Amino acid sequence: MASPTGVRTAAVVTGIGAVSAFGWGIEALHAGLRAGATSIRPITRFDASAFPTAIAAQVPEPDRARTRGIEGWARMSLADRFAVSAAREAVARAGLPGDLSSRMAGVFFASSTGGMLESEIYYAWGRHDGIDRGPRHLLVSQQVNRPGEAVARDLSATGPVESVSSACASAALAIGLALEAVRDGEVEIALAGGADSLCRVTYAGFNALQAVDSRPCRPFRADRAGLSLGEGAAVLVIERPERAAARGARPLAVLLGAGASADAHHMTAPDPSGAGAARALALALDDAGCRPDEVGLVNAHGTGTPLNDVAEYRALVRVFGDGARSIPVLATKASVGHLLGCAGAIEAVATILALGDQRLQPVPGGGDSDPATPVRLAREATAVDCRIAVSLNLGFGGCNGALVLGRAGAEAGAERVLEERQR
Amino acid sequence: MIAVTGIGTVSSAGVGPAALAATLTLGEPAARAIDRSEGFHGEGSARLAALVDPRHIQPLLPAMEARRMSAPSQYAVVAARNALAEAGLGIPAEPDSSLAIVAATALGPASYTQKMFDQVLDEGPRAASPALFSECVANAPTARAAIACRAAGVNLTLAQGEAGPLRALARSVALVTSGRARAVLAGAADEMPPLVHAILDRLRALARPGPGKSEKARPFGSGRDGFLAAEGATLLLVEDERVAVERGVTVLARIRAHGTCFDPTAPAGRWGTGTMGIAHAIVDSLARYGLAPDAIDTIVSGASGSVEGDRLEARVLSAAWGGAPLPMVLVPKAVTGEYGGAFLAAAVLLLAGIARPGAMGVAEPDPDLAVGMGRIDGACDIRRMLVTTLAAGGSASWVVLERP
Repeated sequence: MASPTGVRTAAVVTGIGAVSAFGWGIEALHAGLRAGATSIRPITRFDASAFPTAIAAQVPEPDRARTRGIEGWARMSLADRFAVSAAREAVARAGLPGDLSSRMAGVFFASSTGGMLESEIYYAWGRHDGIDRGPRHLLVSQQVNRPGEAVARDLSATGPVESVSSACASAALAIGLALEAVRDGEVEIALAGGADSLCRVTYAGFNALQAVDSRPCRPFRADRAGLSLGEGAAVLVIERPERAAARGARPLAVLLGAGASADAHHMTAPDPSGAGAARALALALDDAGCRPDEVGLVNAHGTGTPLNDVAEYRALVRVFGDGARSIPVLATKASVGHLLGCAGAIEAVATILALGDQRLQPVPGGGDSDPATPVRLAREATAVDCRIAVSLNLGFGGCNGALVLGRAGAEAGAERVLEERQR
Repeated sequence: MIAVTGIGTVSSAGVGPAALAATLTLGEPAARAIDRSEGFHGEGSARLAALVDPRHIQPLLPAMEARRMSAPSQYAVVAARNALAEAGLGIPAEPDSSLAIVAATALGPASYTQKMFDQVLDEGPRAASPALFSECVANAPTARAAIACRAAGVNLTLAQGEAGPLRALARSVALVTSGRARAVLAGAADEMPPLVHAILDRLRALARPGPGKSEKARPFGSGRDGFLAAEGATLLLVEDERVAVERGVTVLARIRAHGTCFDPTAPAGRWGTGTMGIAHAIVDSLARYGLAPDAIDTIVSGASGSVEGDRLEARVLSAAWGGAPLPMVLVPKAVTGEYGGAFLAAAVLLLAGIARPGAMGVAEPDPDLAVGMGRIDGACDIRRMLVTTLAAGGSASWVVLERP
């Protein structure tokens, strides 16, 4: 990911926003993660009584103050609402105006299901009564590019608006595209993130694959039995360090690098060797100008499915060697569920919060570690001295995405390494 | 310079660039009647679609391989292999991390999602099929193509509505330029099942039959009332021109420039009024590559016959040219229909002189668009074309293709 000058530079994250099952906003997410709590509970979004399992991390109703003044709120899909709310929060936290009105502001967004929940409602009704009668807004929000477009529309952004739908790696890939756009000078401000909502098709599908645990998921634990689905949104404001400094914005973290790869192996199972995921991670570290031994924290994809966690551990071993057993590992999905297309975004936000706190976010669930995946899973809110962290995502179809994030100020060190290499 | 050296395409015209070129030159879409037996279509609705004939796919995709694939995945796999072969490349023996895929989808995995939801509704959630679900993700076509072609590089599925295919092409340029890929399969894959066709019709997006009027897409035309729905996949093989020349393959097109922007005045699923914003974005992006509108000799417009979309596109082009007469304007979606990426293949075929533009001009231009639609040049010697698409919902993308 070279800039036109051939020099790879870091970008800074100056704002974050989130909607999760802990609540609407970063504060609720932060509190839940710090406490090592889980937000995975019985589903009420739809009648789940006939499904093999009936739990998920479901976002609560928003308070009215949060939705007031958002144009078109009533006709937005749930995913669009999550997206717009998280983006507004991220922009406000970055100290930016709510009207970006610039071609130099772009949106790089991810979604796996878009407005599927609303389409299900429309279709269930329309297949008997005729599809020409239902409310139009339930249809037009269906496509996976709608959440990103809703954000751009709400903020009047007129730069690139790109939506990625590469399953569970979508948001990591979208954040990588945003980094590229900032580095290349295509945009000055990039809003990157994702949004997804629970729906029956997805819930039935993962259950059909026997991939859903009937209890809250327990990544890397010996008794893990599958994932827990979640919903929500997360958004990062990304810009060049000098631009942030010029407007007096305080960086929350540094986005140092991104990497992507494909397993080219199987539609639903990861390559058991972990080779593809390792390649994405190695590319991200190379892009960041970081050595593996500089990494002090891993936010794993950590779904809690038997196959994923083993493949992921093998990927970590390929990159970190023995470090795969000693680097602290976060598994955000145990707290907020698997947000599918948005997973990489909310996990990036969780990583940024951990870097800011310099403290681990305990992975809820308890239980023994799996001897086949002997990672150092965060079990306590232990203080750490961590400058560089990575966040990894593995998606359906073998799509992999990885991000390298640094504590605010880490960009200087990484750029020195890159300059030395170029010399 | 980054170049296109192979066209893999599956469309209603058949498989491969020659079949599409023949249909483009003929100027008539290979449209047929959509299946209305599920009862989704209302009275007076659109009846035609540019559908892929399964008989064209079957010889190219063994039944064992195809049996768990949705239609768009099948199209993408066939198009990917087609593009590699056309570019003189084989399938790598081992997963190749320098081979990437960037493909767009506008509509997503509709038919398998519908089938699975029918199972949930009719038989209960426990009846949901895992085989169907694995194809209910938007990236199934790109993932299947990666598996089939052992493409282990970046695998990206973009969703930018109708503008997605051009953005995918732009992304491929960035991947090759930055050295993250040696070659990229870039394009789009989509399907057009009866439910989606009926929904598009319900949204009044499709051309309809009427008294004294045939069911036909009329891009920029008077009396246009919608587009022809299409399906298929197109993947272009994109690589560094020097590498291609060393390999001894024909360079079909250089990708000289690209750009994208968003019109926030566009409501979800509709076109907006941000004419000047898009026009300025086009002109500025051309300038970044040392080009001005007068350096363009042909516009391959994404106008599809949409009432609103074509109006905006006409105004944008007029504004970008500062009110000056437009160069030759071609509208291949009159033949290819909308979705499935054949439009992308058509642009390259026209530039390379493989398809003839004679039948792709604007027929009976809409006087209300108040813009000259550029006559088809007798010589039709296309050197540099601007390819545009303005999507419903606000996204716009464009690329400039040059003849080597």
